[in-house]
Amino acid sequence: MNLRALPKHLFLWVLVIFTLFPIYIVIESSLNNTGSLATGTLVPHHVSLDNFKLLMHNTGSVPYFKWMTNSIILATANALVSVVVGAASAFAFSRMRFKGRKIGLQALLLVQVFPSFLALAAIYVMMEKVYTVFPQIGLGSLGGLLLIYLGGSMGVNAWLLKGYIDTIPLELDEAARIDGASTVQVYWIIFFPLAAPVLAVTALLSFIGTFNEFVLASLFLQDVNRRTVAVGLQQFVGAQFGQNWGPFAAGSLIASIPLVILFLSLQRFIIGGLTQGATKG
Amino acid sequence: MFSKLAGFTGLPAQIAKIAFMAIIDAILLTMFFAALNKHASSIEYVISGVAIAANFVYFAKFTLPFKFLLPGLVLLTVFVVVPVAYTIQMSVFNYQTGNEVSKSDALVQLLNNGLQPDASNTSYDMVLGHEGSLYAAVLTSQIDKSVLLATTQSTVLLKAGQYTLDPNGVAKSAPGFVPLTVTEAANADSLISNLKFPFTHGSFIAPQGLDVASLLTQTLSYDAKTGILTNSATGVKYVDNGNGNFANQANKSQLLEPGWKSFNGFSNYTHLLTDPAVRGPFIGVFIWTTAFAFFSVGIMFIVGLLLAIVLNRKIALRRFYRSVLILPYAIPSFMSILVWNGIFNRQYGAFNALFHTHIDFYNSVWLSRGIIILVNLWLGFPYFYLISSGALQSIPSELEEAAAIDGATPQQILRRIKLPLILQILSPLLIASFAFNFNNFNIVYLLTNGGPTDLGKTAGATDILITYTYKTAFGSNNQNLGLACAISVVIFFVVGTVSLWGLRRSKVLESM
Repeated sequence: MNLRALPKHLFLWVLVIFTLFPIYIVIESSLNNTGSLATGTLVPHHVSLDNFKLLMHNTGSVPYFKWMTNSIILATANALVSVVVGAASAFAFSRMRFKGRKIGLQALLLVQVFPSFLALAAIYVMMEKVYTVFPQIGLGSLGGLLLIYLGGSMGVNAWLLKGYIDTIPLELDEAARIDGASTVQVYWIIFFPLAAPVLAVTALLSFIGTFNEFVLASLFLQDVNRRTVAVGLQQFVGAQFGQNWGPFAAGSLIASIPLVILFLSLQRFIIGGLTQGATKG
Repeated sequence: MFSKLAGFTGLPAQIAKIAFMAIIDAILLTMFFAALNKHASSIEYVISGVAIAANFVYFAKFTLPFKFLLPGLVLLTVFVVVPVAYTIQMSVFNYQTGNEVSKSDALVQLLNNGLQPDASNTSYDMVLGHEGSLYAAVLTSQIDKSVLLATTQSTVLLKAGQYTLDPNGVAKSAPGFVPLTVTEAANADSLISNLKFPFTHGSFIAPQGLDVASLLTQTLSYDAKTGILTNSATGVKYVDNGNGNFANQANKSQLLEPGWKSFNGFSNYTHLLTDPAVRGPFIGVFIWTTAFAFFSVGIMFIVGLLLAIVLNRKIALRRFYRSVLILPYAIPSFMSILVWNGIFNRQYGAFNALFHTHIDFYNSVWLSRGIIILVNLWLGFPYFYLISSGALQSIPSELEEAAAIDGATPQQILRRIKLPLILQILSPLLIASFAFNFNNFNIVYLLTNGGPTDLGKTAGATDILITYTYKTAFGSNNQNLGLACAISVVIFFVVGTVSLWGLRRSKVLESM
């Protein structure tokens, strides 16, 4: 290691320690059965798997697997539907010329900077009203929450996907059309397979976004069995459980590991998707 | 190549399309009638709008682009545009705890509250039942031993011989009267609280339990023509005060509860700027929100960019650094925020335990603010590293070479050529990130919950506008939805203006 690179390594190591500190703490306290988030030393003692066992019991007040299932169902449904629907809109905006296209695009661009929870008071009152007619998709239901999520992710996804479709050469469509394909066929046969990697990344980003969503979920889902893992785990460290960090840490670990693996394995595509909008500038 | 699918454009495709639309229409029609049943007119409008649009778009020939756009358009309209429009509408209404229902509902409740026991507290022994299709009751007065047969339409005094008394002197039967069965009686709770038998003018006999009823007189009378509510017992007249309540005509500060949602123009907005109880927290929160978003983005960008510059060149352990330093971006953020929350906890937290200190982070205004920015840095620097290194790599190497030939040092190349270019490339993302952090609910709510909060204040030192909106709308004591919506509209306005300005500058709008 040459000496001139030393300040750089110093900077990098400060960041590495900063990054790993909370991760280490979570791992340590998930194995620690005293319920606190710190033991005062960096080496774990009181090591046990009690916290994990508590979650496995899946009791009435802590239906951890129910929460995980709810989160996974919501996030998967939102990712799939919003990408399929968003891709269709993006295709129309990218490949077709029609009245209102420019206005529509500008509106889309503006809409996607507002998170849907900004209108939370209105959403609450609206879904309260929906509940009186359709309890299945009203306040307190996972179905209603999913609809709100879908609406909210439409703008971002359509915008992101449009950016990608713009980069697919027009010659491909034209060749297919000469062969007699209709627009619908161009969409399904040419565009959809070509865009598959980007669709997957957009879906993954939607999935992570939904998994992390907290405001609407906590406002919507009061019933303990209908909570998402974000709302449920927050209750864990809130007043109700008296700062019970051990099970919280264990629950966090179980929930993050699949996401981290997914993220790291798709890292290259995700970075491509992120920088796409930027480098085209 | 298309022959196989070409077959699917003819008759089978038509049939499939019609069948699919039939299912959609059937669902929408069922939903429409359900809404009709419950008299939910706004829901009816939305459903019929969707149904008309869907049938038009999928059966007309010239609407091809909209065949692709419609599903997304419907979701976006119903679940984003409608709530936004509703937010704007609610923001010009007095809509808060005590003013939550429509005027006619409020009037019904007021008149109900106006039912008072008569002067002599007349009560009756009662047997509930039916007379024909109407609910009815046989009522025995224990004062004058008179017996009444009351239905929801009229009340008649029974003559001796028309009824029989039980050993306690209570009439149990009357001509045409059928008592409730045991099962009916067991489920009569809501019946008891809703049933009213008209007696003489302005008074009612209302059940007070399964076998008791009392005489109630209406003390309030409403004159629909003048809109005046009069208390016949005290003679006080109440008028609509124009702000969602009936107020004493002589003393306007005396209000009747409940009130109703009422249009109050821009009062919610002017309150934000003039009402001292609202203005103080609002201005403070506004400044902190802007500062928080600005500094967060600034610091994350600086760290991310430095990292990108350092890791752009060959350096030992580059792969290790890369894979570790991207981790915060991969971990679900709500969990990391909660873990950081625990780390800074005074009693159980890892920070105090490790350094053997007793710092009360969450009770100090500036420490709390510092923690929020620090944790946000942890969450966000990997993203800024990723986009910065993307931008750095997209700069053509010819630029660098040309500058080097002209004698520029590497530092000069970085400062004069690369940095300005990177800033230009990334400005749309920086602005998007500003907009995101301006509304970064999770970090504030999960880390400090807006605190520390002074006693009796509505907003804490770290509350940003969106958490302040949340507390205003769903806080525990006084839920003011109208005001919360006004704050939401202010956020729309700020974020919208900043974004538009940014998009103009980056010329994205022109390339569409």
